[in-house]
Amino acid sequence: MDSIISNLALGFSTALTFQNLALCFVGCLIGTLIGVLPGVGPIATIAMLLPITFGLDPTGALIMLAGIYYGAQYGGSTTAILVNIPGEATSVVTVLDGHEMAKQGRAGAALGIAAIGSFIAGTVSTLVIAALGLPLTKLAQLFGPAEYFSLMIMGLVFAMVLARGSLLRAFAMIVLGLVLSTIGTDLETGEERLTFGIERLSDGLEFVVLAMGVFGFAEIIRNLENPEARDVVRGSIGPLLPTREEFRQSAMPIARGTFLGALLGILPGNGAVLGPFASYSVEKKLAKDPRRFGRGAIEGVAGPEAANNAGAQTAFIPLLTLGIPPNAVMALMVGAMTIHGIIPGPQVMTKAPSLFWGMVASMWIGNLMLLIINLPMVGLWVRLLKVPYRLLFPAILLFCCIGIYSINSSETDVIFTAVFGLFGYALLKFGFEPAPLLLGFVLGKLMEEKLRQALILSRGSFMTFVERPVSLGLLVVAAVLIVVALLPAIRKSRDEVFTE
Amino acid sequence: MTESSDPARAAGPAAFIRSPLDAAAGLFLICLAAVVLHQIRGLDAGSLRSFGPAMLPRGLAVILGASGIALVLMSVFRRDGSVLERWSIRGPFFILGSVLAFAFTIRVFGLAVAGPLAMVVGAYADPDARLKETLIFSVVLTAVCVVLFRYVLGLSIPILKMP
Repeated sequence: MDSIISNLALGFSTALTFQNLALCFVGCLIGTLIGVLPGVGPIATIAMLLPITFGLDPTGALIMLAGIYYGAQYGGSTTAILVNIPGEATSVVTVLDGHEMAKQGRAGAALGIAAIGSFIAGTVSTLVIAALGLPLTKLAQLFGPAEYFSLMIMGLVFAMVLARGSLLRAFAMIVLGLVLSTIGTDLETGEERLTFGIERLSDGLEFVVLAMGVFGFAEIIRNLENPEARDVVRGSIGPLLPTREEFRQSAMPIARGTFLGALLGILPGNGAVLGPFASYSVEKKLAKDPRRFGRGAIEGVAGPEAANNAGAQTAFIPLLTLGIPPNAVMALMVGAMTIHGIIPGPQVMTKAPSLFWGMVASMWIGNLMLLIINLPMVGLWVRLLKVPYRLLFPAILLFCCIGIYSINSSETDVIFTAVFGLFGYALLKFGFEPAPLLLGFVLGKLMEEKLRQALILSRGSFMTFVERPVSLGLLVVAAVLIVVALLPAIRKSRDEVFTE
Repeated sequence: MTESSDPARAAGPAAFIRSPLDAAAGLFLICLAAVVLHQIRGLDAGSLRSFGPAMLPRGLAVILGASGIALVLMSVFRRDGSVLERWSIRGPFFILGSVLAFAFTIRVFGLAVAGPLAMVVGAYADPDARLKETLIFSVVLTAVCVVLFRYVLGLSIPILKMP
């Protein structure tokens, strides 16, 4: 307990310098600004804004990136409430009751409770990260290559089970991601693999290039193909502060949502997406009158929003302690950290404690800032939502191009991104969900390294993965998950969760 | 977007395929796997004790191809088939054209030319594009970007060059 307090004190002393406070503020603000725009999710936002952090020191850069991340998450919820469009998978549930409240002239209360719920969830999950950081880092140091490999297998299985659409398709996307990760020079022999004779590829494929192509450009093409009727709330937004009665109704949903979200967020393989769904169905089951849900029940906004934010934040735990990104956004954070010369993993906490704890503390500060800056600015967001997509997407295109170009000052990277844009469009047209591909790509290199190390240590015997108890345990969890997901009953309810 | 005919009533040689979407997706994966296998044909796979460079890509490509075959097989046996959506040409053409235009002009002319060019080309991906509006907007936004990226953030991005 003492160590948590002293660590958090170190963190706050780092995060509360003028420069870092300003960076956190700017990050939250721009993150929200871009996140509010429909059709731009957190992945594209972070990829687009990555170059802004290049000139900063690593601590400041990560604080700002984390701010952009929460800001984008938060902006997505604002759009979900004000327009009938979920900015991303995790705010799908918010649309159901949030937009209904907005239509009834209670948009202000919905936004207010979303912000307050998110803040409470953010506060609790900051404490969870602080409490779990140290023990998990110690655990990670006991991990050998075999355990790491099995852990990543488990993460990928989670990602497959939690992806939308058919299991086989998600599996194929993960494998494709792994194939793409083998592009470049072989670790041991130095021979070039799959480079198609292109010199730029001998260092491997840049993650941002892949992410921006598959998520950024392909999304724009898809948005243009299916123009969405934007149903921006007209008329009064109503008072921002929820009434005493609304607070009373929301208190328990926020508490339950925080718990569920924080718990699911720690799971490797994008457990965070489950949080809002789980919270919504729990609230609906517990409600005295479930028919209110879908017709503007404030519990249906408060719970899922708390779960969303808690999960978004505890998703940092696998990244910061084990060095394994649990979802595509965290994978992008790995890319960002590497650009600043930090390799995520257990060593960050011991080698750069002020960076680690500064980032944890800035998460809480960022949440507080979002609460304070966002509510008064709702009017601005509403106006921003009225900008037509016709003007919006060329601007997004330009920012993406500048972003990619400035990472390496390389126009070849920009060309590759265009190629992957076409590739991503093809994937969408063939009905594939690209998120598991990105996770496979990011984990691929690390997995190959650990697999080879483990096999060298075991003299080529695959038994090492089942002989070591921790590794065996992780593989058993993965196997059970696959079996469970294939059971007809579960499969049916899984389909329902993702189509609801 | 489902302009193709109803799969159940589709006639011709492919009538036994209930789900054209799955069949096409499977073929796509098989093609990708074939490209990978062809590319690494000259590399050594090594043994389990000492992996060669080709071991993983080859193994993964085989798994990828197998999932493609599974998708194709499923397309014959599925009851709830999905049709292939129509591919649009306009969107990909102008969006990717815009990105390529940026890539080919940024070094030669600088951002002052590449920025508006990319935006104007990109804007035509929308059938309702308005030239004058886009042109003015693109010039203003490029100016903002020059100030932001070059002077505020200090990135080394070429602004204007005369070749």
